[in-house]
Amino acid sequence: MSTTTALGAELLGKKYGGRRGGWALRACDFALPAGRICALVGPNGAGKSTLLALAAGLLRPTEGTLTAPAREDLAYVAQAKPLHPRLTVADTLRMGRELNPGRWDDAAALRVVEGGGFSSDTLVHHLSGGQRTRVALALALGKRAELLLLDEPMADLDPLARHQLMGLLMADAAERGTTVVMSSHILTELEGACDHLMLLAGGRVRLDGAVDDLLAAHALLRGPVADLAPHRVVDARTTGRQLTALVRREGPVEGPWETSEPSLEELLLAHLRNPEGAPA
Amino acid sequence: MSTLALKGPAWVTVRQYRRTLWLAGALAVLALAVVAGLRIWAAQHPVAPMKDGVWAASPDNDGYLTLRWFLEYVGVAAAVLPLAVAALVAGPMVAREYESGTYQLSLTQSMSPADWLRSKLTVATGVAVLAALAVAGIFWFGRLGVRAGWDYHWSHPGPYAAAGITVFAYALAAVAVGALVGQLVRRTLLAMSAAGLVTGLLVLAFNAYRWSILPTERLTGPLGSSLDLPVEHMYMDVGLLTSSGARFDQTICWDRANRTPGTDTQEGLWGKVEAQCQAEHDVTTQFIDYHPSSHYWPTQLIETGIVLALAALAAFAAFRLLRARHS
Amino acid sequence: MVEYRIDRRSGVATYLQIVQQTKQALRMGLLEPGDRLPTAREVVEATAINPNTVLKAYRELEREGLVEARRGLGTFVRATLGTAAPAGSPLRGELDAWARRARAEGMDREDVAALFTAVLAQHFEGDDEK
Repeated sequence: MSTTTALGAELLGKKYGGRRGGWALRACDFALPAGRICALVGPNGAGKSTLLALAAGLLRPTEGTLTAPAREDLAYVAQAKPLHPRLTVADTLRMGRELNPGRWDDAAALRVVEGGGFSSDTLVHHLSGGQRTRVALALALGKRAELLLLDEPMADLDPLARHQLMGLLMADAAERGTTVVMSSHILTELEGACDHLMLLAGGRVRLDGAVDDLLAAHALLRGPVADLAPHRVVDARTTGRQLTALVRREGPVEGPWETSEPSLEELLLAHLRNPEGAPA
Repeated sequence: MSTLALKGPAWVTVRQYRRTLWLAGALAVLALAVVAGLRIWAAQHPVAPMKDGVWAASPDNDGYLTLRWFLEYVGVAAAVLPLAVAALVAGPMVAREYESGTYQLSLTQSMSPADWLRSKLTVATGVAVLAALAVAGIFWFGRLGVRAGWDYHWSHPGPYAAAGITVFAYALAAVAVGALVGQLVRRTLLAMSAAGLVTGLLVLAFNAYRWSILPTERLTGPLGSSLDLPVEHMYMDVGLLTSSGARFDQTICWDRANRTPGTDTQEGLWGKVEAQCQAEHDVTTQFIDYHPSSHYWPTQLIETGIVLALAALAAFAAFRLLRARHS
Repeated sequence: MVEYRIDRRSGVATYLQIVQQTKQALRMGLLEPGDRLPTAREVVEATAINPNTVLKAYRELEREGLVEARRGLGTFVRATLGTAAPAGSPLRGELDAWARRARAEGMDREDVAALFTAVLAQHFEGDDEK
């Protein structure tokens, strides 16, 4: 795997002006290696969309720096899947070609639109939410970008379409080494597809790393209540004399506990329940 | 439209607004057809010079009268065109992209935000200039079928706008104002109203003050003589001067005449009192201030220059704003 | 060619599922030496899993000497695994007789499966994981 950074940030911060002013992102540091499929997760309002819009160049950082590919080398699908309502699907794809001269791939775009259950002369205006997502993803994949920034890409899709489109995304990544950043607040949408995880909460990066590394760095302990040091406790619950804890390990876990590797979901829930604990 | 070999963002813009463009084209063709029809209708009756030298149609020539009535509205269209252009650019073309979020799509393709705005403004400018040409053409085509008359005087706002070059400057300014207001307001309807209002104020301001740009010329004569201004000139002001050349307020003597008892019943007394009053005040001269018809083109050029400068300023601000928001 | 079926809820790591299913296909004779495995692109397009997972599974199979990657051509089967005992072999005959006895003693299908799994675990513990 290449070690070049596809998307990086140093002390990145974004503050919105106006009445809803306040920091949407603060002090974000990360370096996403190229070729990763990154799940960007976190509760609503965590700053996921802001981070993606910053990466897409639609917003300017208030402070810090962001390293992202040039506009022509990245593709962005916004959460609302905006499209011109009065254009047909065919016109929308033609727009992709006109606005991305020299790099547009019609076949790649058509593969996404196929199976959507609509003809290419349908007005975008008449498409369902899931069909709009398909057209928006077709525009993104047709652009042959190095970095795909997808804001809640699977939210409007039925399970079959979700599986098919995720398959197409993964195929694109397999073939071309595309880096993908996908946000979601439902982890199961992305589990299996992602090999990198970034957890945002309250505008800060809580967890960031390769999924395998993150899982290996944590341990799920069950057993008698006792001091867990030197391990850092992320989340702990006691039921009577029984302790269940998720810890970030510092060396091998030794003690009277039954130890197992947490699932990705357990790991995320533990961190979400304790937003101030053990920042990555 | 689809047969035009458009490429890149211009294709997208034209494709997006093709219905509006077809509508505008159809409207122009329709207006031209109406004028042509009215001219044919009007030609059924001869227009003859009357005994005082004024050309007039016979009162039963409804075609001629309708043509004149219609041309008034073409003149209004020329004056209103910039408002419509500004509203359409600000609302549907710019603000709607922000309102509906499609800017997130447009600004993440392989072109810069400046290219995006430039392509929109180029298409809008092209269409606005064509529309201005259409209005001017239709006006002139109809005008050729109408003899000169006071309501076609070059100084009237309608003919002034429809027959000159300012309409093109206003079209450009409207596009630039639309681009700026659309980005500032970001709500389609609100942006349309605001841009229309700003452009309307500009048009109104020039309608009110354009004849103050160039100094007027003055025709003077001794008190009591008759001063005749040729009809092709534009009358601005009339008044009295004392022997020292200072302007005299006529109402002073009118007041005195009005207050003198008997002036409302006795024939000629009012005039006598007024003349006596003027003599007491050493009034010797009367004058007319006017713009000769030779002022028409300089005024058009100066106005065009000012409006173009404002257009450039608005366009510059629009692009600066875009750059400040999206890198 | 094999087609992988990924069960997200099985608790078995995805790459291991691919390894196991490939071995199963080798045992059943569905894959033979010289056969090409599906490309990573083909697998991920059908299963919507991460491409690196497929590559990791293929590397594991390669490490075990079962397949080899030929640059630019794909991943090919090199060796075969001890095939499942064909009908008529002594092992299968013994199992056959055992199953008949189990049934006669009143065990149902699930009891038998549970017993079989327990014995398998006892004798082959950890084999697949390594």
